[in-house]
Amino acid sequence: MRDVAVVQARSVGFFAALAPRGKAVFFALAAVAICLLFAFPVFWLILTSLRPGTGVYYVHRGTEFTVDNFHEVLSQDIVLRALLNSFMISTLATVLSLGVTATSGYMLSRFKGPIPNAWFSLMYIFRCVPYVAWVLPLYFVTQQLSIFDTYWGLLLPHIAVHICFFSWIMKGFFDGIDPSMEYAAMIDGCSRWGAFWRVALPSAIPGLTALAILCWLYTWNEFLFALILTAHETPILTVVMAQFVHELGMEWHLMSATAVIALVPALIVTLFGQRYVIRGLRI
Amino acid sequence: MAEIVLSNVHKVYGHVVAVKDINLAINDREFVVLVGPSGCGKSTTLRMIAGLEEISAGTIAIGGRVVNHLQPKDRDVAMVFQNYALYRHMSVRDNLAFGLRNRRVPAHEIAAAISRAARILSIEPLLDRRPHQLSGGQQQRVALGRCIVRNPKVFLFDEPLSNLDAQLRAQMRLELKELRLRVPTTSIFVTHDQTEAMTLGDRIVVMKDGVVQQVGTPLELYRKPVNRFVASFIGSPSMNFLAVNVTADGEDFTLACQGWQFTLPSRRFPDLASRIGRSVWVGVRPQHIRLGAPVSGNQVALKGTVMVTEQLGDEQLLAVRLGDSEIRIAGVDPDLALATGSQIEAAVAADNLHFFDEAEEAR
Repeated sequence: MRDVAVVQARSVGFFAALAPRGKAVFFALAAVAICLLFAFPVFWLILTSLRPGTGVYYVHRGTEFTVDNFHEVLSQDIVLRALLNSFMISTLATVLSLGVTATSGYMLSRFKGPIPNAWFSLMYIFRCVPYVAWVLPLYFVTQQLSIFDTYWGLLLPHIAVHICFFSWIMKGFFDGIDPSMEYAAMIDGCSRWGAFWRVALPSAIPGLTALAILCWLYTWNEFLFALILTAHETPILTVVMAQFVHELGMEWHLMSATAVIALVPALIVTLFGQRYVIRGLRI
Repeated sequence: MAEIVLSNVHKVYGHVVAVKDINLAINDREFVVLVGPSGCGKSTTLRMIAGLEEISAGTIAIGGRVVNHLQPKDRDVAMVFQNYALYRHMSVRDNLAFGLRNRRVPAHEIAAAISRAARILSIEPLLDRRPHQLSGGQQQRVALGRCIVRNPKVFLFDEPLSNLDAQLRAQMRLELKELRLRVPTTSIFVTHDQTEAMTLGDRIVVMKDGVVQQVGTPLELYRKPVNRFVASFIGSPSMNFLAVNVTADGEDFTLACQGWQFTLPSRRFPDLASRIGRSVWVGVRPQHIRLGAPVSGNQVALKGTVMVTEQLGDEQLLAVRLGDSEIRIAGVDPDLALATGSQIEAAVAADNLHFFDEAEEAR
């Protein structure tokens, strides 16, 4: 008992020394610091996007604000096309890769034997390859298949990456679902596929939703594949954003405005998805 | 008619034999309990009957039709699982309707079947709830309801009461017995609890290491266990066993171990003649031992030292040292004060002694 008391006294002393007015103040300061760390760059980005081109280098001093940057980027055809392409690629990649990931994760979770083992090993090997090492071979592959700078040229590599990374997570979700439910469904008149489709998959909705959000945001934010595997025909938002840095200078104000526009869908997806995940967890 | 016949059913996982050559015939509307310790193959046997496990060898027939290669959905069986296995994303009503909808039963028939099952199980107020909003007992009732609505040929129960607390388990046991009267269907019930087996089963199948040890009515198993395993598994507290040497003594047999010796007349125990000069296990149920000296020549005397007493309110259990062995005595007067270390005398009717060969254990 005395030892416990000593430990408690020490920890109280530790917090008292760090935060003289008590623990609450210390934690409040820490929370504010963490929020600032993450929120400040976003705040600065929004501030920059609202400054005229000449004012971006003294954002902290100027008082002149404008929404012309948004007008300017939204009047550019390439930005609008990039917005649409990014949205379509992210959504299609999410839908298609989740379709494969769900079945792949289910197989890894429920079946034993040479086929699941081979599939597991294959994904493990692909996961060991550094992400950046895939880009150049993929460039040649997409050229060979004549899908360079098309939706498929970008979708297929994204789906492949998602399958390798998310099948493991999906396996974890299915491991957490009692297989008895599927056995019950099979006795109740379902085939194995029916038990997966009608019982296992609906039970995994919280997990699937979380993965869908991750998948969508990952593809939306992805830069490297988009840079190497697309050109003028299929502009992608992250690449278009980077093109505001060119030989004539850096158009920070336009880049920031585009970035703020890019933030909005991601923010909506996150907010909508969070609510859905919590609702799903209550099932 | 839905009798179940298992013929030479065998199940192997790699090099491990899970179920070895089971032969069992279950009559129509009979309630059979498979009982045994963990890993004895009872659940595997049930899952093979359900179609959830493939059979390595042998045949299983339900209602005269061999079902070896039929999918679970085509065997017309219903199953209650240990953890209930309710579809957690569906309401209770949808859980009950699921099997019928799969079989394309008309909606009005589904509604009628659900309301009948809900009435039988008193779950009418729960129909619109989700499984996570129900208590363990209520979930168990819904799982039973899911079986009843289907009106299958066979009910299969895989340790359905083991997740419930002791009080609820006793209540559900009674409800299951009542349910049997209202919905008489061929049933197989798997449990590791001998009390459930004794109270529920028309017949009990005792299994160990994938092998059927004995099949019989609860009383047959209790009174005439074929080997030491069955004798120790059935009955609570467990049967006492003492290793004794058998010698011939004129017209009688003398059985002796350290701290205990008694004689039995050979004309009443002719089986012992083949065991002369060998060591056998004598089994005595704790309930069959009475405190006090023998009152007739048919009783065998025991003398020992009280080690521990356990007060249960309506009786006491004694642990008594007998030579270098320890035995349990049940049914002792709860008001009798017995100090640890006190010497006691007890008696058991010779007819209540069971004899098992040591070799039988290997069976």
